[in-house]
Amino acid sequence: MDLVTKKDITKKKSRLSVFWKGFKNQKMLYLMSIPFVAWVFVFNYLPVWGWTMAFQNYIPGKAFWEQEWVGLQHFIQLFQDERFFLALRNTLAMSFLGLLFGFTIPIIFAILLNEVRNSFFKRVTQTVTYLPHFVSWVVVAGIVTKMLSTDGGIINDLLVGMGILDQPYQFMADGKWFWGIVTVSDIWKEMGWNAIIFLAAIAGLDPQLYEAAKVDGANRFRQIWHITLPGIRPTILVVLILNIGHLIQIGFEKQMLLSNPLVIEYAEVLELYALNYGIGLGQFSYGTAIGIFNSVVSIVLLLLANGIFKRYSNQSVM
Amino acid sequence: MRLKKLKLGFILFFLLLVVACQDSGNETTNKSETTSDGLTTLTVFDSDANPDWVEEMETPVGKRIKEDTGVLLDPEFDIEGGQTKIPLMIASGDYPDMIVSKGADQLVDADALIDLAPLIDEHAPNLKKMLGEDGLNRLKWSEEDPSIYVLTTAPVDNEQITPSYGAWIQHAVVKELDYPKIRTLDDLKNVVKEYKELHPTIDGQKTIGLTMNTDSWRIQSSFLNSGFMMTGGSDDGEYYINPDTYEATLHYRRSIEKEVFKWWNEMNSEGLIDPEMFVQKNDQFEAKLASGRVLATIGPDYLMANPQQALREAGMEERMYGVYPVTLNEEFKNRSYQSNGLQVGWGISITKDCEDPVKAIKFLDYLASEETQIMLNWGIEGEHYEIKDGKRMIPEDEWEKRNSDKDYLKKTGIGFNFARFAPRYGDGVLDSTGQPFTTNTRELAIQNQTDTENEVLKAYGAELWKDLFPSAEEFPVKPWGAAYNISIPANSELQTINQRALDITKQLVPKATLADPSNFNVVWEEYMTALKNVNIDKAEDEYTELIRQKVELWSE
Repeated sequence: MDLVTKKDITKKKSRLSVFWKGFKNQKMLYLMSIPFVAWVFVFNYLPVWGWTMAFQNYIPGKAFWEQEWVGLQHFIQLFQDERFFLALRNTLAMSFLGLLFGFTIPIIFAILLNEVRNSFFKRVTQTVTYLPHFVSWVVVAGIVTKMLSTDGGIINDLLVGMGILDQPYQFMADGKWFWGIVTVSDIWKEMGWNAIIFLAAIAGLDPQLYEAAKVDGANRFRQIWHITLPGIRPTILVVLILNIGHLIQIGFEKQMLLSNPLVIEYAEVLELYALNYGIGLGQFSYGTAIGIFNSVVSIVLLLLANGIFKRYSNQSVM
Repeated sequence: MRLKKLKLGFILFFLLLVVACQDSGNETTNKSETTSDGLTTLTVFDSDANPDWVEEMETPVGKRIKEDTGVLLDPEFDIEGGQTKIPLMIASGDYPDMIVSKGADQLVDADALIDLAPLIDEHAPNLKKMLGEDGLNRLKWSEEDPSIYVLTTAPVDNEQITPSYGAWIQHAVVKELDYPKIRTLDDLKNVVKEYKELHPTIDGQKTIGLTMNTDSWRIQSSFLNSGFMMTGGSDDGEYYINPDTYEATLHYRRSIEKEVFKWWNEMNSEGLIDPEMFVQKNDQFEAKLASGRVLATIGPDYLMANPQQALREAGMEERMYGVYPVTLNEEFKNRSYQSNGLQVGWGISITKDCEDPVKAIKFLDYLASEETQIMLNWGIEGEHYEIKDGKRMIPEDEWEKRNSDKDYLKKTGIGFNFARFAPRYGDGVLDSTGQPFTTNTRELAIQNQTDTENEVLKAYGAELWKDLFPSAEEFPVKPWGAAYNISIPANSELQTINQRALDITKQLVPKATLADPSNFNVVWEEYMTALKNVNIDKAEDEYTELIRQKVELWSE
């Protein structure tokens, strides 16, 4: 009798007691994690309380219970606005272009750089290519505008000099070039930086695999195809999933700094829209509604991408 | 043991914090009191920084003020416009005797300020004289509450030496073409065209006919404003206010402005404007002008300061710009100098915590008197300036000190040190003896011009650029002030429509300018329709209502 009950109790309690046992053993570790958990809670979870603003006509300085509740009015207003859909189109277009090129090019770059034998050249190239990451967009926008200028800009000078164009072309004034300009300048700025993670992954591959492949008579391309790429596949997938989660949140600095009145139709993105019509006009509730839309779409995209990859490749970020 | 020490340390630290907080709390409650030498201390919070302040007002001017008024100011200067400190005062309910704020809505809502109207009426003849009936009227808070809570600290009747908006043309251009008449947009076009044909390159680089600074918000102040500035409107922001009916129209919707933008379109099709005009950034614009190959530009004076300075420093006097009152045709006048009347909103208030408001208002009135105003600008007679033949003169060596000693204001107490606490006479206003209150005089401005500038001006029969422009006397004072100063209720539909209209304008007006001339009308129609679609009619009605309310409040 006694024995049985005891067993039952231990079974029931076992999970909790295992936790307690672990907790006691590792209490210093738990203690040390408290500041970081608190940090995440304070800065990432508490602000979600601010979402209530989207359902009010928020007026700063008034107490919470004095605000007027308006339900979904701001969301309805948002979805009825043509300009919002324009901004959504531009955001998606530029983020897909960014994903397509801004994601693949660093991988290709990392693989190519890995194949280089001369280690001095390799290191110098790596440093030179990731430095632009630290240059502010304000400066990059200035450089891009100057390079594309019709008035002594290097690109136009080159094209005219080589006889490809008769006259300097106004790249910055033509809306259809804008997405491309943003994508290319983004690649220039971030390619080296984004390649670092792939370079690290490649460096972690077992050199014995390459040796074995060489013995089997695989040339360099075969080695890349059968060893390097499969080797860094987990890294690629994780980065891809995270990038998809950020699809809709592409920031606004590039667009704000590179655009001008002539191309605004192609340059206005969601965050710029939120800035102009939300904070810019003191409509905090409307701005919050746009922010909620952004976050919800991001989470849905992330979960979707994660689910798909989990299913087909057993890779997951969660 | 060690842990205990740490604990003790923490406790002490907290105690220290608490004490520190209390201490600063005590400081703000510092009320007016009488010092040992019989002076009344008035505490004042100022939203702006002031590095030139000397404690206890121990400067020549400060001492004189103490003697005359028996008041010792104990100011606190803020560095962020009072954005944090004023709400804190409201939360704690402790106010200094006076507050200089940039917009007093929060203070008024918290009933922190007292009505100055009866005090001014009884104790402040100088303020009354300076602001006039009309000015005092403008200080009224609102229709519902006509009290005066804020006494403006803006300059009164300020008339700046440099015209605020016009067409800027290189001296070299007008000189070579033998000083042609420049009055209309077509005159401007011809001048630019002629000179460009004569000199297709300048210093080896291609000549640019006309360019403009259109980087972000600047497109409004330069390019878009040309619509009304060229057709006899004064600057009211995006709206044109009919001076008779106070009806507000989004200014682009006036049919006459289509002609102005049509002119821009012609300029473009004839290759006279810079193809990069709508693309370039501020620094590119400034660099182009400073290279000396841009013949003309149109815009406000403050966008010209840097390039002009650069040209001057590079010794390219001929390539510097003169400013001309160009309009669409001679029917219209440039209204740069039309007066908006007294600027209100920012200024000094007396709080309910002030024990002796009469003393406070008398102090402010003293600052506004003619003698004090002269002292604040010129200093003390015999010390900082002299009177020769009944005229104020600043001796040569004193000028030298004024210009080169960066601590001059701190040492003397002249200028903004005290002028900031009360309304003041602006540049160009004359005192009872017919001399200007401020030291920014005509003579000084002429002295500062380059020889080339003087030569060009002489050819046009003027001494200053200002002389070419219609003077303030030619226009009535705008009874609504400047429309862009009228605050639009936050979260209102009007605000959203305005933003939308501006977005459309920034996109389509440049498009119309760059369109093929045969296509201009189509694009313009497209623009007008787009404005209609965002319900601009409603915004105009609401704006008209706001203007009328303001006029009514101010003209009672």
